[in-house]
Amino acid sequence: MIRVNDLHKEYHVVKKGQGLSGAVKGLFKSEKLTVNAVNGLNFHINEGEIVGFIGPNGSGKSTTIKMMTGILTPTSGEVLINGQNITKHRKEAVRDIGVVFGQRTQLNWDLRLEESFELLRHIYRIDKKQYSETLEVMDEILGIGEILSKPVRQMSLGQRMKGDLAASMLHSPKVLFLDEPTIGLDVGTKYSLRKFIKEINRLRKTTVILTTHDLGDIQQLCERIIIINSGVIMEDGNLSEIVERIAPYRTLKVEFYDSDIPKHERAELISEDNNVACYKFFKSELTAAELIRDLSGEKAIKDISIEEAGIDDIIRIAYGIKNVE
Amino acid sequence: MSYLYVMKTQLIRSFTYRFDVYGNIIMQTIIMVTTAFFWKALFGSGSFGNGMTADKMLTYTIISSAMSVLFTTGVERRIQRSVQQGSISVEMIHPINVFGVYFAEDMGTIAALLFQNLLPIIIIGSLVIKVPMIVSVSAIPMFAASLVLSMGINWLLAAIFGMWAFTAVEMDALIQVKKHLLRLLSGSIIPIWFFPDSLRAVLEALPFVYIYQLPLDIYVGSASTEDILRRMVIQVIWFAVLGTAFFILQRRVLGKVMVQGG
Repeated sequence: MIRVNDLHKEYHVVKKGQGLSGAVKGLFKSEKLTVNAVNGLNFHINEGEIVGFIGPNGSGKSTTIKMMTGILTPTSGEVLINGQNITKHRKEAVRDIGVVFGQRTQLNWDLRLEESFELLRHIYRIDKKQYSETLEVMDEILGIGEILSKPVRQMSLGQRMKGDLAASMLHSPKVLFLDEPTIGLDVGTKYSLRKFIKEINRLRKTTVILTTHDLGDIQQLCERIIIINSGVIMEDGNLSEIVERIAPYRTLKVEFYDSDIPKHERAELISEDNNVACYKFFKSELTAAELIRDLSGEKAIKDISIEEAGIDDIIRIAYGIKNVE
Repeated sequence: MSYLYVMKTQLIRSFTYRFDVYGNIIMQTIIMVTTAFFWKALFGSGSFGNGMTADKMLTYTIISSAMSVLFTTGVERRIQRSVQQGSISVEMIHPINVFGVYFAEDMGTIAALLFQNLLPIIIIGSLVIKVPMIVSVSAIPMFAASLVLSMGINWLLAAIFGMWAFTAVEMDALIQVKKHLLRLLSGSIIPIWFFPDSLRAVLEALPFVYIYQLPLDIYVGSASTEDILRRMVIQVIWFAVLGTAFFILQRRVLGKVMVQGG
């Protein structure tokens, strides 16, 4: 469905000197710096996948999304959406995609939501029947019925986001790009947004590409993640496999009756706080049952809990690998 | 058609904003009336060299004020805002040309202004100054054709100028300079026949006089048919040149979009 071949993006930024003298010099002579925001990306995404596209701020993920949606022109390389080159045939190719930016809206501030939708209906030339069917589905999933007649400028962020999501699906795109959709949303709205993504993926086989800093989004939605840093792909694959490979350990949290905490030769004691201790151990070396048995043989245990290595560990490690290099 | 619907939406939006509408009527009325008094004082009951009388000059003034409404453009500011706020990115996700959208929006605004500004200005002018009749019925088609080309040239100039915003992001001051320069050089307030011959020759080579001066000359009948036809050919050429430049530039500019802020 989506193919990205050797994608590059260079920016030219003008370097300015500091202070007044720098500003004056800048008027006459400017030094240009080339920044490689995206540096040779290759991947392909199949129909019906939900892919989490993650990376730290300034990693080039937003630039990539903007090239994939036809907004920015790549310096070299190409993006094919459903076989069409989005840079060369932007107007045709964007019919297959819907885009939602968490920090911007495609709705018109001066219009009521339904007027904005009507405008989009004309822009995409959607026939009336299909339009009202889609609207019904959107109302079922998102409950936008009650805000249709509300002017966009009077909407809360959550309502606006629901409006934007519905707007991006009006023309039934095959691919939906979501750029930090949950930013600033409350728990309830986040929940309905996630439900929406799952539903359209299930009902319409919509391919979803999602960038987010919210690990909950990734955990609940994405089977596959692509981690990008400094414009290159650090990891691309199945979420649980990546976890298994990068962080194949678990943490056992044990509460004892007193602060005399026992050690274990195959598990690392990573923190102790009064009578609560955390042990990190590798699945390949030790089972949780063994560890618990050994510990309880030494001291009486009051309470235990086991934590899998989280997605946040993965991200920390994946980002960290680059830093070490 | 999608662009027509954009225009219609803009028309509806314009009607909901009453504010600047009255301001503009008042401003245009003040300019129109003071200019009219100026010409009256200058001419008295005499006439100028090329058969211009004070009466014709008053018609010139009223029609010029009314025409200024048709030359309203939002495109420069629109580009600037889109680039500055980064909303250009959401405009480019739709299967539609962004400049086409800006053009349709401007046409929608002008359509609303026909009722909100143009009509009131003509009515006020007719009541306070005189009824601005066209020189002859046979001049109407030529005037209309020339006016359409004028609007085209004016919009293309604004759009090309506005594309600067893609590089020189801050351009509020430039927009003002351009606006006033255009009014001065286009014959909108002072017809260029009052300028020295050398300056006049320079101005006739530039596109600005083909925005105001030419349609106004046709309207009041202050030039020979031969002269008018010659200048209409130049007007068509300018329209074609600017149109071509616009199409080339807009492709280049959209290929170089930078999105501010994420």
